[in-house]
Amino acid sequence: MSQPNEGDATPNPSSQRSTPSSRSSLFSVPTPIKQLFDRFPLHTYPVNELPQRAPRHRNEHILYVFASEQGASSGAPSWNPACLKWQAYLKFSHIPFRIAPANNHASPSGALPFLLPSSPDPYKQTQPVPSAKLQRWAMNTRGDKRIEEPGDARYEAYLSLLDHRIRRAWLYTIYLSPNAPAIAEPLYILPSSRNAFVRLTLARALRLAAEQELRKFSPVVNAETLYSQAEEAFRALDMLLGDDKWFFGAKGPGLFDASVFAYTHLLLDEGLGRGWVDTRLRDALVGRERLVKHRERVVGKYFS
Amino acid sequence: MQVFERLKNKTDINEQKRQQDELNTRLNAQHHKSQERLVELIGDNTSLPVTISSVRILHANRTRRSFLERVVEPLLSANRDESYTLEEALKEVGNATDKLNRFGIFKSPISVYLDRPDQTNASSSPTDVDVYISAFERGNYTIKTGTEAGASEADAYVHAELRNVLGGAETLNAHGSLGTRTRSAYSLAFDSPILSNPDLKIQVNGFASSTLKSWASHEEVLKGGNSKLLWRSKTGHQHEFGYSGIWRQVTSLAENASPTVRVDAGDSFKSSITHTWINDKRDYPLLPSSGYLMKTVSELAGFGPLKGDVAFFKSEAESQVALPFGDTGITLTAGLRGGLLYPLTLGGGNSPQASRINDRFQLGGPNTVRGFRLAGLGPHDGPDAVGGDVYAAGGASLLLPVPRVGKETPLRLQAFINGGRLLSLKSQSSKKEEGSFGSGNEVQSSLQKTVQSLTQELPSAAAGVGLVYAHPVARFEINFSLPLVMRAKEEGRKGLSFGVGIEFL
Repeated sequence: MSQPNEGDATPNPSSQRSTPSSRSSLFSVPTPIKQLFDRFPLHTYPVNELPQRAPRHRNEHILYVFASEQGASSGAPSWNPACLKWQAYLKFSHIPFRIAPANNHASPSGALPFLLPSSPDPYKQTQPVPSAKLQRWAMNTRGDKRIEEPGDARYEAYLSLLDHRIRRAWLYTIYLSPNAPAIAEPLYILPSSRNAFVRLTLARALRLAAEQELRKFSPVVNAETLYSQAEEAFRALDMLLGDDKWFFGAKGPGLFDASVFAYTHLLLDEGLGRGWVDTRLRDALVGRERLVKHRERVVGKYFS
Repeated sequence: MQVFERLKNKTDINEQKRQQDELNTRLNAQHHKSQERLVELIGDNTSLPVTISSVRILHANRTRRSFLERVVEPLLSANRDESYTLEEALKEVGNATDKLNRFGIFKSPISVYLDRPDQTNASSSPTDVDVYISAFERGNYTIKTGTEAGASEADAYVHAELRNVLGGAETLNAHGSLGTRTRSAYSLAFDSPILSNPDLKIQVNGFASSTLKSWASHEEVLKGGNSKLLWRSKTGHQHEFGYSGIWRQVTSLAENASPTVRVDAGDSFKSSITHTWINDKRDYPLLPSSGYLMKTVSELAGFGPLKGDVAFFKSEAESQVALPFGDTGITLTAGLRGGLLYPLTLGGGNSPQASRINDRFQLGGPNTVRGFRLAGLGPHDGPDAVGGDVYAAGGASLLLPVPRVGKETPLRLQAFINGGRLLSLKSQSSKKEEGSFGSGNEVQSSLQKTVQSLTQELPSAAAGVGLVYAHPVARFEINFSLPLVMRAKEEGRKGLSFGVGIEFL
């Protein structure tokens, strides 16, 4: 509360010298003033209510993803592979959560998804969990019942197929190919704003970002190379899955299954956005029956 | 103004001041004498009939002839039905020079000479006078750079002004600044009087800015433009009609930003028409000793053909009155403000939209309700002041001259009490989805309820004492205050606080 010296019967000379000047005593806050201050405010009412748009459901975990309002309330799969991966993973982990539509500006890391853990006190803040820390968060939350990822030596190699080859082909087909106006635009641009100028600017920025991402890998963006590499990757994954139910022969789906599902589900969704125009990447997958079955298994068990 | 003249003199060395005073007295005496003579002369001739046969404006080389003609043509007797007496003619000429002055492109004073035309000229009549107006133009540009530091803000700026760009008192303003709270701001504005009328102006403005809103854990990036029509009536009422289109981006959220701020993150476009009315009758706005101010701002956004992403009607009213206690230098000022945001249905939409953080009001801080932190009043979600849709605030200050300094210096002791409430509109039906209202009726009933609850409880309030200094540019306040009434989560400020600004409650 206060320094022990302040209330003493024998104050030291230095503090006595400082008391005549009111300014210095203000900074050291002597006990009587402190007591006086503590008496204010004289009356405190209960909190002001939050505005209409303020999210309720503070007692649930909320995963912020790219989704429509209706999609979010029904828990439908997100249309963004990065978001869908974690949405699926949390479902695999049997962690109850709610979906909230958002955009990258809302995220602490600058990219979706991120999760806001439930808060026991509605006005108390919880720290958001960015996607990079979601796996650890899910494991901690589930404790003993957490999903153990298979310790297979090939795990990382196959994961890199998804994170590089398939992701690059996805970026190309969604943002740069003729699919852009049919898929990227209605999903990412139109919900942002109704203003034509804003939409044009955002569309251009989105295209540039996708191009830049692809240029990191090679200075020339070649559709044929990207598609054929993705086709090889799908073939390899199909072989990897083999006749197992889940990847690496696991008993239940894990993060790898979620990562594969994030792409297969969206590619196999005929009605994504306004429908596919350039179907080359989709065609590369349609023939991989085991991957198609895998996707159906996930949808049937977790998204129906 | 006298107050400031004195203040400036004080800073001079006494000797200089004495010399200056002597010189001033002498000049004054001289000026006075010549004035007297002129008054006498005019007084003798006030009823003398005159006709103004020509008006010549000297030195205004860069100003368009057609622009000046509109100002002076009404003076010419040929363009008038009634005839002049000398007094009337002088008054009209005075009006015209006053107009020229107000364009801000001429050096003041603008001087006027009257002359009799050559009587030998057959075309001239004996009552003819020629008017010569000597108007030197000001430089055609000013560039200012500087740095400013305030209570919680510091910035550096460059300001360039091009005057009389097209020879019709058009002004082009360019402004750029970088700072701590207003991260960056750039604007380019063009304004021009309409029909050579200094009281009627059109303004077109484009801007881009980025502002840190630390009280709500985000940064707001704005890009947009507006155009305004400004009109000042003869009685001093100012009206502004404008349209603005602004792309707003709520971005760069803090790590611990609340869900209420997160839900509004991203882009929105506001397309709105606004009207502002100001009637400022205060003798000196920064530290009034008498007079009153009335101001309303109304904005209609997104309704019908306006489109955009947000739809609402927003209205704010502000009033202030200053009452002097005789000639003692003691003043009582009282202010009252209020505002409401009425959600509307977006053109093409089907239900009224709830307000976003960009559009909601904030209340609290040295310039609104003293004794609270910036945006310290109203709904708070975690660390964030998320704003409200309805507010009312009021305050009263007793301003006393500082003993031994005197009432002429713009320095006052003040004792104040002020308070306010900031509330959000809430949908009455709890099952309705977040983000919108069920219907127009629902908005109306919740607005009624909210406005009623403004007065149901005591407002959040604070009282204190302090020192006020009115510098010609801005008013500075240092106050000691304590909160009296608060709501939980509202952020009061106990002890000293510093305020700087041009508008205070």
